[in-house]
Amino acid sequence: MKMLLRSIGLAVVHKIGMKIFDSESGRPLGRVLLIPWGGKVHVVGLERSVRPVFLLQTRLTYWKQDLGFTTHPPPDFPSLERSQKPGTTDSRQ
Amino acid sequence: MTAETRGAQPGPVRPKAKDVLVVLLSHQLPSDLERTMETWRSVVSADSLLLAYGGASSNFSKIDFEQKVFISDPRLRLRDQQREHQSWEGVVQAANDFLQNSAHQYLYLVEYDHIPLRGDLLDRLKERLLTEQADVIAHHLHRIDGTSSAHYLYHKNEGRFHDYFARISKRDEKGVILSMLGTGSFWKRKAFKAVAACEEPFPIYVELYLPTLAHHLGFRLRDLTDQNRFVMHLGDRGSEIEEARRQGAWTLHPVKTLPASFVRPL
Repeated sequence: MKMLLRSIGLAVVHKIGMKIFDSESGRPLGRVLLIPWGGKVHVVGLERSVRPVFLLQTRLTYWKQDLGFTTHPPPDFPSLERSQKPGTTDSRQ
Repeated sequence: MTAETRGAQPGPVRPKAKDVLVVLLSHQLPSDLERTMETWRSVVSADSLLLAYGGASSNFSKIDFEQKVFISDPRLRLRDQQREHQSWEGVVQAANDFLQNSAHQYLYLVEYDHIPLRGDLLDRLKERLLTEQADVIAHHLHRIDGTSSAHYLYHKNEGRFHDYFARISKRDEKGVILSMLGTGSFWKRKAFKAVAACEEPFPIYVELYLPTLAHHLGFRLRDLTDQNRFVMHLGDRGSEIEEARRQGAWTLHPVKTLPASFVRPL
């Protein structure tokens, strides 16, 4: 019953929640419900892992800052072994 | 029906990759397991297939397959795998022990409900590894540190979590945490053995532990992006097999019960 209610609630959020976008790429990140409560912001309905970031200002303002969301790029870290041995190829085994 | 299915015109028998060890993790009853093993035998020879059995010990002796190992690790058998930090340490150690006496250069870790759909699956994985210049390729590989990932936030609550990886890391950026789907990771021998040589310091969920450890040991991990839609973490996709095959799937997950109509890959 609890799971059913949760599913229905999430379906509603994903239908009418606020659209959020990746603040760097502009890509849509889904619809969520943002609920400020007890000094925190509860984020309901996220379907992917996002990072909260304060957005850069195009005009200096002291009274307001914007909080947005972004994501990590896909992991693309080099192999340390190959990067420490210039000229080696991937066929080393 | 595609040329890769059994109903197609018979062609030359595809040579099976000899340098890939497939580690199949299952807890199925011996009667159900038989079909799973038969399916994998169509893409890999028996001497390159290792059954890591996580089911009841009373069933283990009834499994009619020589290359099998019983995984007694209680942390494999958890009711809530995520919240209780399921570990594959027993599976990793069993596979590592097997590698001591074998020359396999690659290792493919799969669960019983992850089924192969292509006879040349292992060659495709090797080719992808080479193309990506990677040491490990996996499904749904993401970087999750500093994000809303529930797994990350839950683990970060454990004070030692970041400290451990920072301590063993060979990289400059020591805070990176990666996540991947447990099933379907394909490893170079060297990367797998390096990970197996480390002792899990405290319970860390396998889907975070294995990729993050490999990353911090200096290995390169890449995502199997184009195949991810065929390998999801929930559901039962037994009815989607032929459609997935048509759409270019190499494998499909999860398939809890193989339908009677299932055609093994050739």
